[in-house]
Amino acid sequence: MSKKTSLEMEVKDLDLWYDTKQALKKVNMPVYKNKITAIIGPSGCGKSTLLRCMNRMNDIIDKCRIEGEILFDDKNVYRKNYDVVELRKRVGMVFQKPNPFPKSIYENIAYAPRIHGIKKKKSLDGIVQQCLKDAFIWEEVHDRMESSAMGLSGGQQQRLCIARALSIEPDIILMDEPCSALDPIATAKIEDLMRVLVKDYTVVIVTHNMQQAARVSDYTAYMYLGELIEFGETEQIFENPQEELTEKYITGRFG
Amino acid sequence: MVEEFHNELEKLKKQVVRMGNLAQDMLKKSVKALKEKDTDLAKEILNCKNEIANMDEKIEQDALKLLTLFQPMAKDMREMATVLKMITYLARIGRYGKDIANITLELAHKPHVKELVSIPYMAKEVDSMINDALTAFENEDVESIDGFTAREKNVDELRYSIFRECLTYMMEDSKTIKRCARYIMVARYLERCGDHAVKMAEKVFYMVTGDHIDLDPPGPTPDCEL
Ligand SMILES: Nc1ncnc2c1ncn2[C@@H]1O[C@H](COP(=O)(O)OP(=O)(O)O)[C@@H](O)[C@H]1O
Ligand SMILES: [Mg+2]
Repeated sequence: MSKKTSLEMEVKDLDLWYDTKQALKKVNMPVYKNKITAIIGPSGCGKSTLLRCMNRMNDIIDKCRIEGEILFDDKNVYRKNYDVVELRKRVGMVFQKPNPFPKSIYENIAYAPRIHGIKKKKSLDGIVQQCLKDAFIWEEVHDRMESSAMGLSGGQQQRLCIARALSIEPDIILMDEPCSALDPIATAKIEDLMRVLVKDYTVVIVTHNMQQAARVSDYTAYMYLGELIEFGETEQIFENPQEELTEKYITGRFG
Repeated sequence: MVEEFHNELEKLKKQVVRMGNLAQDMLKKSVKALKEKDTDLAKEILNCKNEIANMDEKIEQDALKLLTLFQPMAKDMREMATVLKMITYLARIGRYGKDIANITLELAHKPHVKELVSIPYMAKEVDSMINDALTAFENEDVESIDGFTAREKNVDELRYSIFRECLTYMMEDSKTIKRCARYIMVARYLERCGDHAVKMAEKVFYMVTGDHIDLDPPGPTPDCEL
């Protein structure tokens, strides 16, 4: 891990309520450029909520109220008139369950670039090929680009979804438990892929697999009941956590 | 599953403490046997050789199994790492006990050059360091290893003073050379056991706090000139 780190995004004093229930409490967290940050913590602690704040996916949820800031390029993404469409272009997301469109493999990747105005077939072909290569799936699908994405295995579908996230050329890729529906081999491929992607992108991953967080991430955040309990270099968090709550969770002495 | 791991880890640590008691016993009794020319006791120690080797082997296997099955993290991981290091040091301490028992058998047919005082005294100091390192491990409390740096230096000093004492006898009377050469070896073994106690203390410190500590920083070596 290189020592040189610069901030890509910064969560500042973030509070979030779903109706009357507070799901995030004064969360402060840096997201470093070209690093993988893992968010861990027990179910319901607010990991997905925090992740969704980073590209304002919570906006579509009723009765969701937010206070605090998320700085991206020195601008608070929650300030008035912030361009949310642009934000979602720059901060892509991959979900727990692979969710390819029920269309051809080609169309899955070409879709977003096309709505963003790229019309020429040759340009689209180039983008599709590059994204599939970057997501380590090109070799497996190049001879069946017109087949339905639904015919791929779970692991392939997930890599296709990552390729699709790459097609909008984001700066940050958010992944919410991207491997929890996959077998160990497919999981290993995604983990390898993450380590490669992080050379060009910033990655934030929510995972409940602690070994996975330890293996792939550079920084780890531990959350509990909506609070960020501890943030640090992954090695430090897993070798020598400073907070007793983190220690208890990591060693399974919880509850 | 997690509870099973923690139960197994507790058992593993108890095994280490038992192995520690055996190693301590072997070393302590070997010096007693040497001092009293007690060949029966020396032979008893030689018989422990296999027992401590088996414990070393068994604990290592159990530990590797737990690592594989549970992939422990944080303090659990540090405890496992400490266990694996401790058993190596303890096995060595036991082996030095065995070596001293062998020396006892070699020297048994002749009287000592003079009554052994410094070696038993040094052995007592070393034994109390091993004991304190084990206590710290068992209680997960680093208080008892406070002052290990000074105690290690003291043990080094004792070794050199035994060395100097032996040189004097050897120069006065060449018939003492064989015996004195053995005493010097014993002092060397004891000093190594003190080093192992320090190493164990460092590992226990890491286990408890997560931080690395150097309890034997380089300093001036004691004067070993005559
Ligand atoms: N859309 C929603 N509406 C209301 N409450 C929600 C919604 N999404 C999540 N929550 C609640 O917010 C808390 C945090 O949820 P979430 O961020 O999904 O946790 P995690 O991802 O750590 O499991 C939970 O108590 C959950 O029930
Ligand atoms: Mg979630």
